[in-house]
Amino acid sequence: MPEIKTNNLTHTFGKGGENALTVLEDIDLTFESGSFNSIIGTSGCGKSTLLKMMAGLFDPSDGAMTLDGTVIHGTDRRRGMVFQQDAVFPWMTVAKNISYGPRLRGASKAQQAEIEAKWTEMVGLKGFEDRWPRELSGGMRKRVDIGRVYANDPDVLLMDEPFGALDAQTKERMQSDLLQTWNQTKKTVIFVTHDIEEAIFLSDKIVVLSSRPGRVHHIEEVSLPRPRTDDMRLTEEFLEIKRRLWAMLDH
Amino acid sequence: MNVLDTLTSRRLWLGVLSVAVCFAAYIWVTNRPDNNPALLPPISDIVKSFFVNIESGSLHTALGASLFRIFMGFFIGTTMALIVGCLVGWYKTIEFLVDPLIEALRPIPPLAYIPIIIIWFGIEEFSRVLIISIACFMVCVVNVIAGMKNVPQVYVDAASTMGASRFQVFRTVAVPAATPFIITGYRIALGAAWTTLVASELLAAQNGLGFLLQEGRRYFLTDQVMMVIVIIGACAFLMDRAFRRIQAYLMQWSEARE
Repeated sequence: MPEIKTNNLTHTFGKGGENALTVLEDIDLTFESGSFNSIIGTSGCGKSTLLKMMAGLFDPSDGAMTLDGTVIHGTDRRRGMVFQQDAVFPWMTVAKNISYGPRLRGASKAQQAEIEAKWTEMVGLKGFEDRWPRELSGGMRKRVDIGRVYANDPDVLLMDEPFGALDAQTKERMQSDLLQTWNQTKKTVIFVTHDIEEAIFLSDKIVVLSSRPGRVHHIEEVSLPRPRTDDMRLTEEFLEIKRRLWAMLDH
Repeated sequence: MNVLDTLTSRRLWLGVLSVAVCFAAYIWVTNRPDNNPALLPPISDIVKSFFVNIESGSLHTALGASLFRIFMGFFIGTTMALIVGCLVGWYKTIEFLVDPLIEALRPIPPLAYIPIIIIWFGIEEFSRVLIISIACFMVCVVNVIAGMKNVPQVYVDAASTMGASRFQVFRTVAVPAATPFIITGYRIALGAAWTTLVASELLAAQNGLGFLLQEGRRYFLTDQVMMVIVIIGACAFLMDRAFRRIQAYLMQWSEARE
């Protein structure tokens, strides 16, 4: 299982120009293989930018990122991404969305069917295979998004506030389910959020970014036992981490 | 009966009502003693003209000729528009190359090409199909381009991060995401095809519905003119209906389907 690294990564929008804006500065991070990591920070700290660069959607202006020692340049299937917005293709049924990635690489009908069956089940959408996305709720569409990325079998999953638009109850449910899926596959996850509680509940490691420009302000190792359960959210240990991180973000 | 049903039935009844009122008004006007039937023929004359033209075979010939032109022109024009529009809307290099050309030609009404096309190709079937093709192409290509430019970035990013190549994104994301715009372009093109058809036949044809209109004017057969107008309206209406069916089928995934 590969690890993902950033080396002195700096990103400046409009570099060299008059309105140059440095959003990320000297980001030096290592995300160990198989771990669940979160990046938190106030809005505008560049956390989404960082994630998009890891996906290869654009290159940093300075420094580099490596996956398993190989420099990241451009997108490829090794780094899958779940977006904040709804990215489910509305013109494909749930099942066809799930098997989109394998189909790109010429998977046979039988292989596609197998993948569709496995991942609709894994993300809790069994029975909805032939539905159009418009027939699903926001939470279910997010499940399609996640299932589709997992079915594509990447090495690293990058998640950009995937549950940001969901209501509190759906969100907690999705968090538990995501942890279950992660636990079964042990793929490296990097999860961007502004929700401190969400970050603590999910992660082994939380990176706190400061704002303008985004710098690594603090790294919190979360030692809460796994599997995580909802009642842990109210334990003293959990709340203590929450207080500490909250104080950091509230400046 | 739920809300949707009442709405649908209200639409149907009100639609029938408005047509019926116009029909009744026409009958009333043509029955007035001061009506000049040479200008405003009574419905019976229009119906009679319909049967006369069917019996002589001229309506059949005209309709066949016109429908052939419509289908050929529509097919060629929209197919070209689909190919060109997709490429222009997706690939920047092609856009910079071709878009100024399209923008320059767009304001020119297709009928303006008729004289030069007649000079080049004569009063041939090819000329008429060409004019209709140009008309269909121009209105359709603009929509196809708009559709390709409005593909949400998040779909493109999602496909790319799953390993899709630039061409795969084009084929599996951009084109399907643009279908609502593309279909609208096709529908507008169908309307443009009818408009241009009649105009081109009025100017340069020995058969077709436009020719029947022209013949009616020349021999002062107002009933024939009226009859052809009704036929054109009916054909265009039926085609648009059929098109809506296709649209509803292709757009069953969309929130905004009709």
